[in-house]
Amino acid sequence: MTNIEDLRQTLFARVSATNEPREILKAAELKQLYTVLPTLDPSERGAYGKAVNELKVTLEAAIVARENELEDATIEPLDVTAPWDVNSALPALLPTEQGTQHPLTRELENVIDIFTRMGFEAIESRQIDDDEHMFGALNFPANHPARDGYDTFRTEEGFIPPAHTSTMQNRILKAGKAKLEAGGHIAAVSYGRVFRNEDVDATHEHTFYQCEGVYVSETATLGEMLGTLQGFFETYYGQKLKIKTQPGYFPFVEPGLEFAIEKPAALGGKPGDWLEMLGCGMIHPNVLRSADIDPEKYRGFAWGGGIERLVMLKYGIEDLRHFESGKLAFLRKFA
Amino acid sequence: MIISVNWLKKFTDIDVSIDELATLIGARLVEIETVVDLGKKYQDVLVAQVVECAELEGSDHLNVTKLDDGGVWLNVERDDNGYVQVVCGAPNVRAGILVAWLPPQSIVPETADDAEPFVLGARKLRGAMSNGMIASARELALFDEHDGILELDTDAAPGTKFADVYELNDYLLDIENKSLTHRPDCFGIIGFAREVAAIQGKPFHTPEWLAQLTPDFGEKQGDIMTPTVTIDDPELSARYQAVVLSGADGTKKTPLYIQTYLARVGVRPINAVVDVTNYLMMLTGQPLHAFDYDKLVKVGGGAADIHVRSGRVGEKLTLLDDRTIELTPEDIVIAAGETAIGLAGAMGGADTEIDESTKNIIIESATFSLYSLRATQMRHGIFSEAITRFTKGQPAELTAPVVADAVRLIAEWTGATRVSDVADSYPGKRDLPVIELTATQVNATLGTTYSVEQMRETLRNVEFDATASDDTLTVQAPYWRSDIHIAEDVIEEIGRINSYDAITLKLPHRDFTAVHPSDFDELRTAMRKALVRAGASEVLTYSFIHGDILRKVGQDPADSYRITNSISPDLQYYRQSLTPSLLGLVNSNVKNGYDQFALFEMNKVHSKTAELVEGVPAEMHRLGFVLVNKKDQASAPYYQAKRILDYMAQLLGMELSYKPLGDSNLALSKPFEPRRSARVVDVSSGQPLGVIGEYKKSVARGFKLPNYAAGFELLPEAIAIALNHKAPAYTPLSRYPSSERDICFQVAHDVTYQQIIDVTRNVLDTIDISSTVEPVDVYEPADGTTKNITVRLKFTAAERTLTGDEVTDFVARVASEVTAKIDAKIV
Repeated sequence: MTNIEDLRQTLFARVSATNEPREILKAAELKQLYTVLPTLDPSERGAYGKAVNELKVTLEAAIVARENELEDATIEPLDVTAPWDVNSALPALLPTEQGTQHPLTRELENVIDIFTRMGFEAIESRQIDDDEHMFGALNFPANHPARDGYDTFRTEEGFIPPAHTSTMQNRILKAGKAKLEAGGHIAAVSYGRVFRNEDVDATHEHTFYQCEGVYVSETATLGEMLGTLQGFFETYYGQKLKIKTQPGYFPFVEPGLEFAIEKPAALGGKPGDWLEMLGCGMIHPNVLRSADIDPEKYRGFAWGGGIERLVMLKYGIEDLRHFESGKLAFLRKFA
Repeated sequence: MIISVNWLKKFTDIDVSIDELATLIGARLVEIETVVDLGKKYQDVLVAQVVECAELEGSDHLNVTKLDDGGVWLNVERDDNGYVQVVCGAPNVRAGILVAWLPPQSIVPETADDAEPFVLGARKLRGAMSNGMIASARELALFDEHDGILELDTDAAPGTKFADVYELNDYLLDIENKSLTHRPDCFGIIGFAREVAAIQGKPFHTPEWLAQLTPDFGEKQGDIMTPTVTIDDPELSARYQAVVLSGADGTKKTPLYIQTYLARVGVRPINAVVDVTNYLMMLTGQPLHAFDYDKLVKVGGGAADIHVRSGRVGEKLTLLDDRTIELTPEDIVIAAGETAIGLAGAMGGADTEIDESTKNIIIESATFSLYSLRATQMRHGIFSEAITRFTKGQPAELTAPVVADAVRLIAEWTGATRVSDVADSYPGKRDLPVIELTATQVNATLGTTYSVEQMRETLRNVEFDATASDDTLTVQAPYWRSDIHIAEDVIEEIGRINSYDAITLKLPHRDFTAVHPSDFDELRTAMRKALVRAGASEVLTYSFIHGDILRKVGQDPADSYRITNSISPDLQYYRQSLTPSLLGLVNSNVKNGYDQFALFEMNKVHSKTAELVEGVPAEMHRLGFVLVNKKDQASAPYYQAKRILDYMAQLLGMELSYKPLGDSNLALSKPFEPRRSARVVDVSSGQPLGVIGEYKKSVARGFKLPNYAAGFELLPEAIAIALNHKAPAYTPLSRYPSSERDICFQVAHDVTYQQIIDVTRNVLDTIDISSTVEPVDVYEPADGTTKNITVRLKFTAAERTLTGDEVTDFVARVASEVTAKIDAKIV
């Protein structure tokens, strides 16, 4: 094996010295290695073959690197400080009518704007988090079947690309505790990207956006939560709306509800058409406790829902896959 | 989960229409996905008696039968006796039996949901007229049994509607299970019926046998060794009961009526013993399991010695579905002696399976740790009706009444008798908590004005032990509500059963303090708007990418967080910068006919090389931008990207400077060609903001980029810091005219524009007159050895008009300093 290591060093030295590195692959010493193989004891052949193979792979990589280096050496440097190229003039911007904002960020800005005006601070959600924030602090014990609904990804280290923006709830509660105890309230929304291990089709995505709201005070009620949500949707759609609820189960709220609005006229809705919008409820005492907030003294409510739904309904977008496709054919429709 | 409305009606009155019932359940219990009208399938199916049956000549299996349908069906050919002729090929057809007859013009129920349902007629088979058909269970869409026709066990008169006899004029509710994760009781018809009663405002009375926690098992009629049951670790199982029955008559069948109820909720009838376990599971939510007693004794080395324990490393078990699985210490195992014979709660083992030769049966009624079972379910991929119920956490009290009823029903349906005592290991006995709360607290949480009496009645309707005294409610949940622990659980019950929709909506009170969007969100909005104005399109791309994309730009996949359960290799790694994702979009858009465009994205990146922050990976914001033109241009693409970046900076109120990139090992810099790229620096704060440039040749090749391609990747957090440092830059307008002079320097090819500007600026800063310097022209002759850089100097005095001599002097000072410092010639 030592002679393979020696050969590796020799060949690498030659690669970095030559202007035609690919020729090194034809080196006689390399071919020689193969003729040795049949002469070896069968027990050694496996390891030997592997070492030869490894040499070839690393050599190939070194050759590609050297080729790139040689190619790059011909590159003309630019005066990066100049305002424009030589013999040229100030370049134009692109035609402004080509400029487009992504419909999701546009709608998120709109949603955040309304909640801000309603008195909620906006905080962006994380894209990688730990089990404690994703589940533990939200009253999901380890192995609880309620975790099944979230289809989470995991990294090798056990981190989680969050499956809901509620992953920020514990941080929001902790950050607001001092204000709460000084006689104020906690009012915040967290928004951002969430991830679920789901196969993609026109109505399913592994990557999507949510907005979650949290409100805590000494006097919060479920009626206030429903009023707040109705208030948001009426502002968003610019019309009076009927709402409807049904019981839902989420370990971090108690009572837990699903919230629907009557489909707004602007979206072609008729009385009796309902749109399920989000899950919500009174924050579970254990969730308050895990942020060191006394549930005997304070109550809160929280909700969370998807953003894509709003955007798709608003523009009549037919396929969820467009959003992360980066297709100009789609994007240019949002000038 | 499927709920039969007729089955509910056996336990509670339902006096609203099916639509109203569905709405009520939706608003106060659980989402219903669909409501199926089962009766429609059976509207024409009749009970008929086979009065004659004779072999059809020339056929080896067909019989010609005469059916008596009571003369009910019109439009059918009848013989002199009024009977209808039907040809039937089933081996079990014979005179005297009652059958389900599908008359001509009726639809075969099995095909009722098809696009084109099969409509029967009258047709000749081997020369004999056959009117409609005699149906098998499969053709009736009951269960998958097609070895013969279905024989009815009714004494109903021929001509009676089949649906009336077996209560098939039913509606099936398809329930969204997820919302009942915390409600094990609702996974049984009786528990569901209790809720349906309460949401109609009616009290519910649990059947006596189910409320009986120390039930009567009837008389023991034999003497077999009672199994010993040992729960090795009480964490695994709160309770395990076992009893032995003997003498089941294998030929006896479960009443067809019960079979149809099992079938309509999705359970296939098997044999009387298995049907009893399934029937009781559907009724109460408590799964049962049957073992062959003698096989168990044999495996256990001569004694019925049952243990509940953890799986052992290396231990194997062959399941009923013939799979051999490797057990882990996280699985719960049922063992006979030392040998594993079943995966608790999930599936029995092949070694103790009941078969036709089984003489003695052990019935197991137990409850297991739902957390362990959920892990087992995921690990071994077992999704049965039983484990679905076990993972909701069935209460330990339930095992006794259910096993007692199993003994009774098996005796009734098979003639088997109980031959052992009931073994009962119950280490997990818990007292139900008594919860005290006040009506004020309930109303304050819900925002309601319910009276304490109304709250008490609501709770009593679902059989809570509830008493009210002044404002105080004292509540103890019934044993089947293992989910009720704290006051909030009780508040939820009161709010839900009375409907959340009855709550008056209000907005929280708040003061008038304004809430601002965060500075950072405002910055991002401003950058987004600037780039859109500059003609770029905002994109959003996935946070996860393929390892090959990382390698293509020279980033090391080992530095990326890797998803272990990714959907595909395309989505395996967290990205280290945004540029690779943007470059990945260029070629497809060019191919789709977009010749010139710019894309940008604001998102986050993650790298293992960054330190964890409070135990989680640091999140780094980025702004990525790429600009391409399919057609080659005379000018280098770098300058157009720079132009757009300068434009954005100008709208933000910043001034940027550009320094050659040189060697950089940052993941961010990797895609950029160092000779044609720059570090971007904020002039006033000196803050580095990111990288701008053209791409390495290998990168351009890897992503099939056009020749004209450049871009930048910036750190918005650094931009925010730089903007914080910015002082207001306004100076009052001068009332006096400005003077301008152009000056042209001829310099060597490798002298940069910035070098000239820096020296010029230094000179101008020594002059106590406001001045600016702007580029006019950069000319390079064809030989490329020198270049001419022309700049415009502009001087404005605040208090007076400058004289021509003064301006000439300023320009001369600049010229001499630049020629001295840079070896430039003035031309």
